[in-house]
Amino acid sequence: MPFTERDEMGKYTMIITEKPDAALRIASALDAQGKAKEKKANGVPYYVAKRDKEIVVVPAIGHLYTVAEERSGRRHYPVFLFEWLPRYAAEKGANQIRTWIEAISKLSKDADVFIDACDYDIEGSIIGYCILKYACDNKETVSKRMKYSTLTKEELEKSYAEMLPHLDFGLIEAGRARHEVDWLYGINLSRALTLAAKEWSGRYVTLSTGRVQGPTLRFLVAREKAIRYFVPTPYWSIKAEVQIADSVFEAMYEKKTIATKIEANNVIDACKEKDGIIENVDAKKFRQMPPTPFDLGALQSEAYGLFGYTPMRTSAIAQRLYLDALISYPRTSSQKLPPAINYEAILRNLNRAREYSKLTAELLSKKELKPNEGRKIDPAHPAIYPTGNLPERELDISERNIWNLVVRRFMAVFGDLAIRQSIRVCININGHHFYLSGRQTLEKGWIHFYEPYVRSEEVILPPVKKGQKVNIKRVILEDKFTKPPPRYNPGSLLKKMEETEIGTKATRASIIQTLYDRKYVKEERMVVTDLGFEVVEVLKKYCPEVVSVKLTREIEEKMNQIQINSEKREDVLLEAVEILKPVTEELKSKEKIIGEQLSKAIKKAEFEGSIIGTCPVCSTGKLTIIYSRKTGKRFVGCTNYFKKQCTASFPLPQRGAVTPIGKSCRGCGWPTVLVRIKGGRPWTLCLNPKCPLKEERRKNIEMQNMR
Amino acid sequence: MKCKICDREAGENDYCEFHAKAHENIVEKYEFWREACEITWKEYLSEIVKNPSTGEWAKEMAEYLAKNGEK
Repeated sequence: MPFTERDEMGKYTMIITEKPDAALRIASALDAQGKAKEKKANGVPYYVAKRDKEIVVVPAIGHLYTVAEERSGRRHYPVFLFEWLPRYAAEKGANQIRTWIEAISKLSKDADVFIDACDYDIEGSIIGYCILKYACDNKETVSKRMKYSTLTKEELEKSYAEMLPHLDFGLIEAGRARHEVDWLYGINLSRALTLAAKEWSGRYVTLSTGRVQGPTLRFLVAREKAIRYFVPTPYWSIKAEVQIADSVFEAMYEKKTIATKIEANNVIDACKEKDGIIENVDAKKFRQMPPTPFDLGALQSEAYGLFGYTPMRTSAIAQRLYLDALISYPRTSSQKLPPAINYEAILRNLNRAREYSKLTAELLSKKELKPNEGRKIDPAHPAIYPTGNLPERELDISERNIWNLVVRRFMAVFGDLAIRQSIRVCININGHHFYLSGRQTLEKGWIHFYEPYVRSEEVILPPVKKGQKVNIKRVILEDKFTKPPPRYNPGSLLKKMEETEIGTKATRASIIQTLYDRKYVKEERMVVTDLGFEVVEVLKKYCPEVVSVKLTREIEEKMNQIQINSEKREDVLLEAVEILKPVTEELKSKEKIIGEQLSKAIKKAEFEGSIIGTCPVCSTGKLTIIYSRKTGKRFVGCTNYFKKQCTASFPLPQRGAVTPIGKSCRGCGWPTVLVRIKGGRPWTLCLNPKCPLKEERRKNIEMQNMR
Repeated sequence: MKCKICDREAGENDYCEFHAKAHENIVEKYEFWREACEITWKEYLSEIVKNPSTGEWAKEMAEYLAKNGEK
């Protein structure tokens, strides 16, 4: 709507949301006809709803303001003076934000009532507060607040009718403190590392660490060290193949591990060609409680285990499903489902979907619907649950997987206890005891609702009785070795962060991603690179407090206290500065030695990053991208060339970016690279000139041409 | 002074902190191996070099010890 038209039309109510999708949903829910009009101001979309009074719903695009240094320049530290600025003034490539802020600012001039409808959590509260304060000329003091956990019409209408009279300033103060403290840590420590490396090598490579990133990387380094020091020790295990009726089962020897080969051989000799007698049959029934509702961390872990989605990916998918009003707000740490969400109505709505109709009907026929809740609470939102809405568009596979997971988990929490039985059969073979184990589900209960995602194996044993003689087909001795501790993966690392209470539900996934982006870790089973090692070693040596989990958790706790007015933001900030002052002084005084250490690690990391794979010709050298000194053209060569041991070389396209991807060709097993040419789709190039897949493709093209 | 195995700073025993710890582990675990399968020090080193579960630093250390006949 052109701004000049407003004078004749009177003032409107302005609602601010975090994202355009949420703005459209809110405007449509509040419009008397259910049809909000989309308009644009300087290309920025906003929505107009007609009710008793006109409502203009204006979206942000996430954070429009950020913490930034008061003076400019990136080449100095310590930095303790900061201010909140529009992102376009503080970050490169954020020009779109200027248009957005200008549009919001202009639209605010004709509003007389302001409502913050951003997500009800720390980030959402900060987004709304900054817009109201800076873009709408200090309207944060008069603004009202809508609080909702789903974007369904019913809840939005209720939230509008029962809006809170003012913003949640506790949440805002806590959010400001978190942003400011994290900025102070990040800017000072990252600059100290980056500038130390630059001073020594003359090259600028961004190195980063932060209040949560440092301790998280330290977990990984501690695990990596345990793996690299590891020396396996031998042990033996024995199992017997037992025939019962027509089936053969494996029974395990009473001692799971046998420490010496002599002892293991003695058992084998004693049991060889002997029959077994069933000495005891022990059956135990046990009850399995339904799972608890999903909080974000649990959803991320489950999605990683089931589908291999990284926490970051799950978070993004859940956010899309929330904006489609299919699930409730996902950034929650609650495991509670209050009755106010109306379990019955949700199940009745889900009943319309064919795949859930039988299951929901079963639950709806129950006398009482009572969820099995967990202990975790979140004052702002309940656990993640389906809204009952069905998709209005075709969901892609990953969206469908997460939606189905949330729906099934929601149903499962109302399910009955599952009754399972374990059976342990003790078999005596010439004085040695072996155990046969069976597991069986007697009553499925909640498992019925969560079936595709339950990972429990059923081993059903035939009926056996005490004193029964059984045929032992063979007794097997297995040589084994102890294993190193497992590497973290993004899912288990996220769990570790939750357990140690560092970071927040909203930041953990992106911190893990940053560790990859900075090349501190690589591969899905997270391997710490030399660079990751050096960053932790430097921080541990010169400023152990900044990688201390204890300190990070204490600061976290204080920031939580701000939310309930038990701590002041200013005091927490002062404390952070007190910690950082001596740390930055120490880092500065040791700049040379730190710079040398980090620069060497950067060089090594860059070399490692350029390795495409093992040379298929000499099998000992590594293939890497080389630029010809004569022509400047690039090709792939073997590192053994410099030792005059291998002359293998392979051509590369001269246009576009070529990146090693660490994957072997599925056709021939040779190393591959990813080629990206501007304007085209990236493609994988196998280095083998005689790769069977290339031949196949060539033939297919020829055939097509002939046709 | 540099570590005998890598180019990190060495401590008192001529190994860096990481290889020193790997050395300590190798010596400690030998007792388990000897009891388990009556194995000589040399055979033990060769076994752990071959074993895929041996950590990178422990393997480098074992290779060095085997090559130089050190304990």
